Amino acid sequence: MTQIFKYRAPVSRAELFDLVSDHDGVRLLAGGTDLLVDIRNGFARPEMVVNLKHVAGYGDISWSPADGLAIGAAITINEVLRSAAIREHYPLLAACAHDLASYQIRNRATVVGNVVNASPCSDMAPGLLCLQARAVIASKRGERVVAFNDFFTGVKKTVLQRDEVLERIIVPPDTAAARGGYRKLKRIKGHDLGIIGVAVFKKDGVVRLGISSAAPTPLLVEGLTEDDPADIVVAAAHGAIHPISDVRCSADYRAHMVDTYTRRLLEEVA
Amino acid sequence: MRMSLTVNGRLYERAVPEYRTLLELLRDDLGLTGTKEGCGAGECGACTVFLNDQTVNSCMVLAAEADGASVETIEGEASAGELSSIQAAFARHQAVQCGYCTGGMIMAIRELLANNPKPSVAEIKDGIEGNFCRCTGYQQIIEAVLDASGQLTPATKGELKHV
Repeated sequence: MTQIFKYRAPVSRAELFDLVSDHDGVRLLAGGTDLLVDIRNGFARPEMVVNLKHVAGYGDISWSPADGLAIGAAITINEVLRSAAIREHYPLLAACAHDLASYQIRNRATVVGNVVNASPCSDMAPGLLCLQARAVIASKRGERVVAFNDFFTGVKKTVLQRDEVLERIIVPPDTAAARGGYRKLKRIKGHDLGIIGVAVFKKDGVVRLGISSAAPTPLLVEGLTEDDPADIVVAAAHGAIHPISDVRCSADYRAHMVDTYTRRLLEEVA
Repeated sequence: MRMSLTVNGRLYERAVPEYRTLLELLRDDLGLTGTKEGCGAGECGACTVFLNDQTVNSCMVLAAEADGASVETIEGEASAGELSSIQAAFARHQAVQCGYCTGGMIMAIRELLANNPKPSVAEIKDGIEGNFCRCTGYQQIIEAVLDASGQLTPATKGELKHV
């Protein structure tokens, strides 16, 4: 590796919370598929890397009709895809997971890591926003729960404080069995960062959109119904996005493709 | 830190810096240079190995994370001097030109065939989406996978121009 750092792999929450509150320059390692690249490129300069994978309970997925779904901080994208409960009750989440990077990366990358990094092009965020998921955040000081709609504060920025850990994601039971789909525009057929991504959610007459790569943060568009014509839904999407022009495409093209994918998904998600 | 891991069935014990990657451990400490570094950022798949029976990009795994683990690399693919069925199919179809991507490519294909013994052409393309080839051409690689999975018949061979 291009930098020198210490490494710890705590097995208990207490040990983890002590490490993050007692040391400066700690970076948490879940899957490592973003962090280790950032360290290699010098974008991250941690003094200590703390591996979350061995903390008791962080490798758990649970589902119940009363409490909904809980996804621990060490759960990988491929574990989401292999979870019968997620495929059955939250197919939109599986659709987002399927489009994330390559098979090898999905074996390591985690759902929690994908949202904590707060990239505008997060693939899991559009689905989690539509499903009204919440982040369970803990530290030595206690625990708090934050809806993902309030979680992202800017490009690569979240509400997480220096000593806090996103321990698990909970998805409420009332969004289970929603119909949904995710479309991600990429430059190539293989794995790539999204140019834009759109998730559509439909349940009990309610329509929601989750949009990635079209604003500083992943976006949720609410207040729509299945009776709204596509033009109204697209207008709501256009009212929410703030796309930029960059190396991958122009702002106009992003806006155009949000329009196109929203219309296609509204038809596909019957 | 002192760590131990099994690579291709052989136990190794080493003292390694905590900031070592698994790829660096394999190549620089153990001398297993069949696993290559391409991009160092999880794009190209040249560094693909099995870690506890799952394919990973070894440039994006710390060696420390493999303490106590079982790792398999391209060096373990042939046994007793005999090519594996995937390697033999690569040779028959000239699916190797420079060979740089081949080690990682064969690891990804072994994982694909373990999960899906008769993949369609579309499923093969999905299975190797994390592995870049910049010279051989994917055509020959896809043919080799169809052959290794027993799907290359005189009838299907004619269609391969279109894969």
